[in-house]
Formats: sequence, C-alpha cells, structure tokens
Amino acid sequence: MTTNTIYQFYRLLEKDAISFSYRGSFSNNVLTMATQLFKDNVEEKHERLRNKLSFLMIESFQNISRYADTEESLNLDENSEFFMTRNIGDTFYVISANLIDNDKIPTVREKLERVNTLDKSELNKLYREVLTNKQINEKGGAGLGFIEMVRKTKGKLPFDFVTIDNKRSMFFMQIELRNPKEDDGLPSISLSDAKQIQALVAQENILMMHKGDYSEDAIGPMLKMVEENMQNVSLKIHKKIFHFLVEILQNISKHSYAVNGKHEGIFQIGYENKRYNIGTGNFILNTEIKNLKTQLDTVNNKTVDELNEMYRKYLREGKTTKSGSAGLGLIDLARETEDKINYEFVKINDTYSFYSLTVKF
Amino acid sequence: MLEPINLEKTKNSPEIILNKQEAEFKIAGRSIVEDPKEFYSPIYNWLEEYIKTPLKNTDFTFDLEYFNSSSARQIMELIMLLEKIPETGNKVKVLWLYEEGDEMSKERGDEIKLVSKLDFEISEYPSEDF
Repeated sequence: MTTNTIYQFYRLLEKDAISFSYRGSFSNNVLTMATQLFKDNVEEKHERLRNKLSFLMIESFQNISRYADTEESLNLDENSEFFMTRNIGDTFYVISANLIDNDKIPTVREKLERVNTLDKSELNKLYREVLTNKQINEKGGAGLGFIEMVRKTKGKLPFDFVTIDNKRSMFFMQIELRNPKEDDGLPSISLSDAKQIQALVAQENILMMHKGDYSEDAIGPMLKMVEENMQNVSLKIHKKIFHFLVEILQNISKHSYAVNGKHEGIFQIGYENKRYNIGTGNFILNTEIKNLKTQLDTVNNKTVDELNEMYRKYLREGKTTKSGSAGLGLIDLARETEDKINYEFVKINDTYSFYSLTVKF
Repeated sequence: MLEPINLEKTKNSPEIILNKQEAEFKIAGRSIVEDPKEFYSPIYNWLEEYIKTPLKNTDFTFDLEYFNSSSARQIMELIMLLEKIPETGNKVKVLWLYEEGDEMSKERGDEIKLVSKLDFEISEYPSEDF
C-alpha cells in the first residue's frame, strides 16, 4: 500500500457515499460491525432499506462461509475471501468473492441461473418447494439464500467464476438493492467493477477499507469495528493500531475540507511483510498544503530522539504560535512509525486537493 | 466546600472521580474526545480550587487505556496543577496504572513522569481477559 494506492481507490470509489470492504478470515464479529456501520450511517431517505440491507449483507456473508473452501488459513493471499458493501446514489451493492472448488461450480451456476430467470410468483413457489423438500436441503441452503436475495431485491444476481487453477476458482457475486422511492437515474455498477476492486485490494494487501463521511459521529462505529476485529493480535499491536487510528481519523474530521458538507475520507488497514500499514485520504484546501507540507517535512527530518524531545516540550508548553510547528498528533505519528510518514497531494481543482498519507509499524 | 465531581465513563471519555471528602482522585478509561479542552475545563477548574487547600496527602490515580494527543496535553495541564501542591507544604503522588502487556500505556506514563516534577508511581495490574 502506498499513498498512490489510496488515490487509486479514491478514484474507483469516487461515487460511493459509504463503502466498506473486508478481506481475510470471516467471523460474525466483522458481520455485526459491518451491518451496524451501515445502519448508523445511511442517509435518512434510505432508512426504510436498512433492515433489508442488513438481511442481504448477512445472507451474502454467510454464503461466503457456506461455499468457501473449508480449509482454514490464517495467511492472507490473493485468493482470500472478500466482502464489500457500497452505497452509490440510491442503490446499495453487496459483493462477495470466495474460493470455490471447480467441481461445485456447475451446481452453483445452475441455481443462480434458475433464480435469475424466474418471476416473482415462480420464485415464491420455488422457495416453498425448497423449504419443504428435505432431500435437497442437505448442503445447508440448497439455494434458499439465492432465492431470498432475488426476492428481496427484485432484481438479478450477477455472478462469475474466475479460474485460478484446475482445482479452484474465485466465485464473485453481487446483490443490488435499489431504493424504490428514489431514482437517481444512475446505471447499475457492473460486476467487473467489483472484480477490479477485489484484485487491487488483494494486490495491495489491504485487510479493511472504508470510505465515507468522517465527521465526529461517524468515527465511533469505525473505531469500534476495528477494535472488535483485533481480538487475535497482541495487546501491544492492538493499542498501536487504535492509537494511530484515533489520531488519523480525528485529523480528517477536524482538518479536512468538507465537500458538499461532508468530510469525505477513505481509510485502509493493510498487512504486508509482517508490518501493519494504515493509510488515509481526504480533501484539503490548496491554500493549506504549504503549511501542512512544512509540518510533515519537519517531523520526517527529525530523529526519534529529537521527536521525543519535541513531544515532551510540547506537553508542558503547549503549541507555539510559530507557523509550521507540528501538532502533537503528527509528532506522535512520526516517532511511532517504522518509516517516515509518507504523503502525497493530488490536485483536484483550483480549490482543493486530495491528500493521502500512510504510516507503517 | 468543594463539591465532588463524579463523571461516568463513555465510549470517548474517561470516568472521573474528584472527591476531597473521600480523598479519592481518579481518571480512568479512554480519553479520545475531540475537544479535550472543553471536556477537561471543569476538571481543571476543580483542581485549581483544590490545590489552594489540599489534603495532607493527595494520591491521584490515572488508569488510562487510551488517550489521544490532544488529551495528552490536557492531562499534562492537570499534572502541572498538581505540581503546585508541595508549595503548600502538603504531599502529592501520581499513581499511573496500566494493564499487563499494555506497553503503550506504560511508555506514555514513563514519558509523562519524565517531564513532570511529581512523585510518580507506575504499576501494572493483571489483564482482565481469560
């Protein structure tokens, strides 16, 4: 993950009001928090979709564990399970990607093709049939999940299988939930879009990614989710990740440039070469870049000892008014990160730019 | 008489107990409030009053699992107030507690100890998990 990766994702997710993606081993914890995140943050006009969205997220998520390779692996690779929910305009998308044995593909394909061609009454009929038929119910689902997804969304389920080798493939599926009371006139996002995102997430070793409004209220659920999902890392790492996140996210909410009243931001946690990476991106006024750059360069050019001294002096004396003096938050980031604070500014227009930052530890 | 302050902890702010009658002084939990200055201002005002006529012995406990950098600054402000207690001929001590294995909270305590002029006792308590 580099600062440019964050910019690339910003472009890919430019239209997303909220999006969340997760890659790795799946626990119900992630699911609970992801559904909560959307419950807390969807716009008011989409409120009546909230329960439906939660339901679809759960179905999709469980589908991953149902069809996924049973072999549990702690090591992430390019074929790790992937889950994403995004809100674009008046539509929500729930995307899943997981490994599937090639010999199971025909069965899954058949089920999906069937539900994609049925109308409402045929679906209801099939649903009742499957529900009461014990024989076809042995694989813990028998397509009930697919039927439900189609019934709830009143749409089709785009899917695809991407061959990995002669044994396994990656199974992609996308659920589309439109708000029937609203019409943004936007065309649907194709499945290839999701495939592109998954490929980049895997390539850049990203575990978790969120894009949304980073106002003060929105940070809470985000932090909670990250915290709840770090149960298996040591307390030391756990605290560090949390500490960095608080500083970085609060920084976005306080100092970012609000476009259309929103402090839009993106944040990613990655894991690469046994190091965690945290990256964020947000907008900043062009007029503020010079000062921020001076602060970043100042802390980046200091040794850890010098940074410690700066931090301690600041603790007692508070911020000096001299321009270019870095705040405690930046000094702290600089002394804790293994490397430097990497940053990049990409000009969006004459008013503001996209500012991305990564730290590693 | 100095009325006690008793604040329950929230998801962003610590529990605060300031009670002269019971000789209890404690800040515990997490402090990641976005506007620490506003949050800590009543605490600061209370302490400013307290240090004029403190108890013979003041043991002030900090048990903070997390604090953001802007809270660090406010916590330091409180500690600097406590530094004035010895001028009145009374004693003051900071008890800095951290959970077993929580190196970050320990390091933060060590650092504040380093910059403060107070008697500082840093100690670990067993992890609550398992």
